[in-house]
Amino acid sequence: MPVTPSATPGRKSAPGVRIGGLTVVYRTPAGELPAVSGVDLELPPGTITGVVGESGSGKSTLALSLLNAVQPPGRISAGSVEIDGLGDVVALRGEELRRARGRHVGYVFQAAQNSLNPLKTVGKQLLDLGRSHGVEDLRALVREARDLLGRMGLDGARVLDSYQHELSGGMRQRAGIMFALVLNAHLVVLDEPTTALDMITQATILRIIREVHEERGLTTLVITHDLGVVAEVADRLAVMYGGRLVEQGPTRQVLSDPRHPYTRGLIQAIPRLVGDIGEARALPGRPPTLATVPARGCVFRERCPLRMDVCESEHPPAVAHGTRLVSCHAVEAGAQEHGGEAVAAGAREEQA
Amino acid sequence: MTVIARRLAGHLARGIAMVLVVATISFFIIRNIPGDPIAARYQKLLEQGMSPEAAERATAVMYGFLPSGTLGEQYADYMTGLFRFDLGVSVTNPGTPVTAVLGEAAKWTVLPVLAGTLLSFLVGVIMGVYAAVKRSGVLGDLLAISGSLLHGVPQYVLALLMGAIFTTLIPILPQGGTADILFEPGFNAGYIGSLIEHATLPVVTYALASYGGWILAMKSSVVTVLGDDFILAAELRGMKRSIIFRYVARNAILPLFTILALSLGLLFGGAIFIEKIFNYPGLGFLLIESVVNRDYALMGGAFLLITAAIVVANILADLFYTVIDPRVRSGEEAAT
Repeated sequence: MPVTPSATPGRKSAPGVRIGGLTVVYRTPAGELPAVSGVDLELPPGTITGVVGESGSGKSTLALSLLNAVQPPGRISAGSVEIDGLGDVVALRGEELRRARGRHVGYVFQAAQNSLNPLKTVGKQLLDLGRSHGVEDLRALVREARDLLGRMGLDGARVLDSYQHELSGGMRQRAGIMFALVLNAHLVVLDEPTTALDMITQATILRIIREVHEERGLTTLVITHDLGVVAEVADRLAVMYGGRLVEQGPTRQVLSDPRHPYTRGLIQAIPRLVGDIGEARALPGRPPTLATVPARGCVFRERCPLRMDVCESEHPPAVAHGTRLVSCHAVEAGAQEHGGEAVAAGAREEQA
Repeated sequence: MTVIARRLAGHLARGIAMVLVVATISFFIIRNIPGDPIAARYQKLLEQGMSPEAAERATAVMYGFLPSGTLGEQYADYMTGLFRFDLGVSVTNPGTPVTAVLGEAAKWTVLPVLAGTLLSFLVGVIMGVYAAVKRSGVLGDLLAISGSLLHGVPQYVLALLMGAIFTTLIPILPQGGTADILFEPGFNAGYIGSLIEHATLPVVTYALASYGGWILAMKSSVVTVLGDDFILAAELRGMKRSIIFRYVARNAILPLFTILALSLGLLFGGAIFIEKIFNYPGLGFLLIESVVNRDYALMGGAFLLITAAIVVANILADLFYTVIDPRVRSGEEAAT
């Protein structure tokens, strides 16, 4: 990746984020069920962290928690999200919270979603954003937006003059990124930024994310179900399953030498470009839903090839392996030799 | 601009064709109603205690005003008359052109029904937004239930109920008619006050009867928009609540304009039950009278007026959408 010097040296610098013991529950007829349980995750300043998980793993809920924006009937029931220069977001309320959103933390929606008001041009919505945040020089804001869009390869003036339905998926996504950055936020959360885009556009968006991240000196969190996306952009990778982080560490390490049986399963399920299609093996079973996540023990045990007795009763704590954190009893017991050596070797080749 | 002009021309051509088709259908349906105006009148006079001979003499006058010739010839006459805005002559009011009778009745319908529609639209939409925002609370539930209840009660039941309450139980409003005969018709406080007093019950009843539909439609529309991604996106960008509220309101009210345009088209249909019950001499009242009297020309005229009004309302709604919804607008540009 080419690293260009920062185009807009902002007053702010990339903030660090420390998520601690975060638990988010959803109110259901069966009581409050956790979608995110005791998640500890640190986003070092200036890095891109990818969170990977299947649908329903709680990754979007985790992303919304960074803005204290979990939608009812959900709520953050425990834990904290400390953002440098902002404090604990979970404690923010009302106007304070509103001002933090957009100005400190930018949020980019899934590309397939319509994140723009269909009845107003992008430019008018930009002015609404400026007025909401008390921007005095609206002309400068428009100029900044035009530059940002131009930086992403679009005709800025044209995009600002367009309605949502006049833009393609890739253009909308870039407009979304512009909205997240235009107020000079230095923490950016992207929720499924490339889902529903074609391969070429995906590649373009990922390149833009990487470049803008470097240029503006951001701390970035990318939420995705696509390991390819993470491999492409993320410095660090966290794997989420059933509302818990099961493994995290530097992207390259985790992908080339997955420790947790779920991470291994995910990598094994990817069809290879070379070799037999049969080598790709889907994980047996289904991911748990809110209602079926076990309250005690390991969340992955139903589908785990390395299941042990202790998995039934005790949740595996995250244990550090060098730069890596893994939550698995079997890994701790040194049982990984039996199950996944071949897989790990295969994945290493893939990475090389 | 030429695009809109061309669209308008297309609309008008289709609208006129539609009116002609409806005129034809209603002409033949009306002529197939059993009975005829003279028999109807004769019966009525007998019921009023007139002797058969006197009644026969009285009805004989009407022959002069009835259309003559075969059904085909009558149809041809009727259709050629249409192009001169000649809808024929009413037999109930011997000699008066149908257009004049309709014009007189329209005076008593358009304003009250317009007032009732706009009142219910305004209140219903505002309450609908409130019911949507507070949908998990008791007040929201109560509002939605009030909407369902009022929407479910037939207009005539509501009208009878309102009449019973406000003219008999608590006699604060007049029972019917348009104004007290005590006052000289004209632009004076007494007459206008009396007009308003007499219009209150029909207007309020009409508003109550349609309010339920508005609140339910607006509530579901707002709930849908609130669940849209762009609202959450606006929230996550830290937009002010007042701006988000405007986003919601404008997007939610859009589909309601179609319903509003159609109900404005129905202005000329009058509120049949309400006008009958409150003895208010509007178009709905006139329509019932014309059916009872087998006044073919008047019936045809009333139906035609309703048709034309709805066609025009549809055209206006369509043009209005090109102004308020950019998606419709650019669809039009793309079509050229």
